[in-house]
Amino acid sequence: MPHENDDPTLPGAAPPGRGVTRRSFMQTLGISAAATSALGGEREATAAVADDTPVLGPGPVPITLRINGKPHTRTVDPATTLLEALRVDLDLTGTKEVCDRGACGACSVLVDGRLTVSCMMLAIDAVGAEITTVEGLARGDTLDPVQESFVRHDALQCGFCTPGLVMASRALLDENPKPTLDQIKKGLSGNLCRCGTYTNVFNAVLEASGQTPIADAEEAMP
Amino acid sequence: MSEQRDHLPTIMPTSNRPINAGAALDDDTARLDAVAKVTGRARYARDRYEPNALFAAFIRCPFGAATLTGLDEAAAKAVPGVVDVKRTGDEGRYHGEPVGFVVAESKHALRRGLRAVAPKWKRGSVKTTITDDAGPIPATEDDVAEAIANADHVIEAVYSTPVQTHSALETHGVVVDHRGDTATVYASTQGTFSVRDGIGDALGLARSEFEVRCEYVGGGFGAKFGPGKEGMLAAEVARRHERPVYVFCDRAEEHLDTGNRPSSRTHVRVGFAKDGTPLATRVHTWGGVGVARRGGGARIPSQRYDLGSVQKTHEDVQFNAGGPRAMRAPGWPQGAFAEELLLDEIATVAGVDPLALRRRLDGDTARRAMYDLGADLIGWSRRAKTGTQSSVVRRGFGVGTTSWPRIPARAEAEVVVHRDGSVEARTGTQDIGQGQRTAMGVIAATKLGVPLRLVTVMIGRSSYPVGPGSGGSMTLPNTAPAMMAAALDARSKVLEHVARRRGMEANELTIADGYVIRGEERLVGWEDACRGLPDDGVTGRGDGRSGAAHRGEGTSAGVQFVELTVDSETGVIAVERVVAIQACGQVVSRKTAESQIIGGVIQGISYALFEDKLLDRNLGAMVNPNLEMYKIVGSRDMPHIEPVLWTQGQTGVRSLGEPPVVPTAGAIAAAVFNAIGAPVRHLPLTPDKVLAAQEGGAA
Repeated sequence: MPHENDDPTLPGAAPPGRGVTRRSFMQTLGISAAATSALGGEREATAAVADDTPVLGPGPVPITLRINGKPHTRTVDPATTLLEALRVDLDLTGTKEVCDRGACGACSVLVDGRLTVSCMMLAIDAVGAEITTVEGLARGDTLDPVQESFVRHDALQCGFCTPGLVMASRALLDENPKPTLDQIKKGLSGNLCRCGTYTNVFNAVLEASGQTPIADAEEAMP
Repeated sequence: MSEQRDHLPTIMPTSNRPINAGAALDDDTARLDAVAKVTGRARYARDRYEPNALFAAFIRCPFGAATLTGLDEAAAKAVPGVVDVKRTGDEGRYHGEPVGFVVAESKHALRRGLRAVAPKWKRGSVKTTITDDAGPIPATEDDVAEAIANADHVIEAVYSTPVQTHSALETHGVVVDHRGDTATVYASTQGTFSVRDGIGDALGLARSEFEVRCEYVGGGFGAKFGPGKEGMLAAEVARRHERPVYVFCDRAEEHLDTGNRPSSRTHVRVGFAKDGTPLATRVHTWGGVGVARRGGGARIPSQRYDLGSVQKTHEDVQFNAGGPRAMRAPGWPQGAFAEELLLDEIATVAGVDPLALRRRLDGDTARRAMYDLGADLIGWSRRAKTGTQSSVVRRGFGVGTTSWPRIPARAEAEVVVHRDGSVEARTGTQDIGQGQRTAMGVIAATKLGVPLRLVTVMIGRSSYPVGPGSGGSMTLPNTAPAMMAAALDARSKVLEHVARRRGMEANELTIADGYVIRGEERLVGWEDACRGLPDDGVTGRGDGRSGAAHRGEGTSAGVQFVELTVDSETGVIAVERVVAIQACGQVVSRKTAESQIIGGVIQGISYALFEDKLLDRNLGAMVNPNLEMYKIVGSRDMPHIEPVLWTQGQTGVRSLGEPPVVPTAGAIAAAVFNAIGAPVRHLPLTPDKVLAAQEGGAA
């Protein structure tokens, strides 16, 4: 998904996770926080404001996050990660906290279409981005094809890694609609599962991409 | 309950495992809570952020041994949002041992409070491994010593396994919502009732005044029984403040202080005949138990093989680390690793096929048939003789075995049939990912004779009928007979009402496919039949004893075959394929059973190749308390895994938690030996050890 404001000459224009500086995201934040209620688009607002914006914090700051198509405004501690904002401040607990340092993928969400571990991103850094969480994949009672094939192939046990694996699988298929088994293994290698569901996940992703799951050998029982 | 909508059964056949077609009571229904889990709607204990909640965490010792000499409680209390700071001890005997705690209004304030207390420590000297303090091997009995001495061949070797942490993805923790004279306890637990039994005093409430809930649990693997220190802290703080309290370990704490599979060392001296038949075996094991008094050990001999006359002794060894807890077949994978590799070493010395040797030493009839099936499936005939390969990439085959007994426990169940035809199947037991919710639904629906969509499974609450914790593969063997009996009881009660209204005898009637049936005749549909029930419906009750007829006998036998390659230049092992044949009685839900076998294999691979809790030998601190340096197996390490549900001669219902995790590491070690011609006797089988074994023979 292209970023609508990739012009590097604009202050605070760098999209999250792409070389954003502390200064620039604070600017983005400051403007966004101030402008959200008055203006619809945070990034446009960013571009229009001079760069003498005060650095915010250490006290709580108001932010608006766009999640699954809807804006949510909260006042958060500036140290709040996107993961904490989702879970603690917005009660969107489908996104799981497991390692809290980017090692396991359980907290994966899409930020402007890009797979992102939300524990490694500040909430204030996500202002202005379009965030999709696991709660936002299904359309009403209609599951995303990835979710549906996870259900069919029992690609989950305790389910704690599942939201992250679902998001990583979705992101993989968005980028590569017909991945090979090796590409699936590589594409999901940022996600850890402890119960041991990986091989069923591979089958789920194969099927969700219109391919045939891997079959076991057939042998008559003695 | 809004979440029940997510538990509606969906029939979703899969065709990629033809060998298991028809193996289960239910072949095609998807896991009942799968939709709740893939949509993020499943709410775990860790997801309970109650309004007005306090957050609490322990102040922990950062070294293997240290005395607390200073704690700046005033500074911590001065942090905005910090509510309380308490010192509870002065001595840290291991990295992660609590010496106090901080309570705060938010996670941020808690973190700042924990930093502000700035503990000062005086370090002590530490022991960090079994070998730091292992005692000598006790004397060998004369007859065993003599039999070994007189044998044609003798192998004497030491095998060792590391500390493995459970690493459940949902860490240990409890949320207590205390309202003064009542409380709700949301626990991430393997034992609903174990939490109830342990937390009442800390809550200051009678068992009738609070409820424990664990509707979803993010893994356990043996470490999550009872309220734990997290639950006791949450209860104590919640009671004092009469507010909800949230206590969950972070990932480092989870590695440090929530139990582990203890390390082991196994010394074996075996004497065997020219054909490889063991005549006498002397085994001494050491178990590393950290600061605990016991809990170590390696189950060798496994008693699956005849090792001649055996003398076994054991010593638990303490060092400066958190103590062990049960982990998926406690002691069994450690023992199987040593035993399976030893058998392959014996076979190689004797010049016999290791599978043939096992066939000779293993008297279990189910496993003997499994050896044949597995050898065909894996292609055992492609196996080169050990030590004969000189190519860069060398191929290895290995085999390992498992068994698990049926462990009895008290279990009760209820099946409520309402006048609208809906059904509730209730058990207080928990689903930690094994599929208990699904199994209970399938059993209730099958025995009642109605479609599964009519059944709402209600589990994981201490107000529901009592049942065992999910450890030792005890859940299903005990709750299945209870649920069967409850469903049959409910069925008879429904049929009595139908019979009475129609002037028939209840024993003429049965229920199948959603109809009350007499002979060949569909008498009345289920919903219509239920309209004649009393206002509050009927309740069927069962316990494990009344369901005795549904119990199985014997052990959960299994055999696993492994095919792998070893790169002789890098020492890297790539497991390519695992065939896991497993008996577990009457299979209830095929998909969840297959998944649990696959999961056992995957944890076994992880144990074999990667996992190792490393302590700094000077500081006694764990150097890898995270998930990037404490490596667990990932997607790129995955072989193709073929679970085979063994149905022949199976009776009753059993569980699959323990049996499939037992043999994998041993089979992998045997296959590596087959590939490179030298045994690697110390887990994990890392490239450095593989290369060292290649260079110097036996490691």
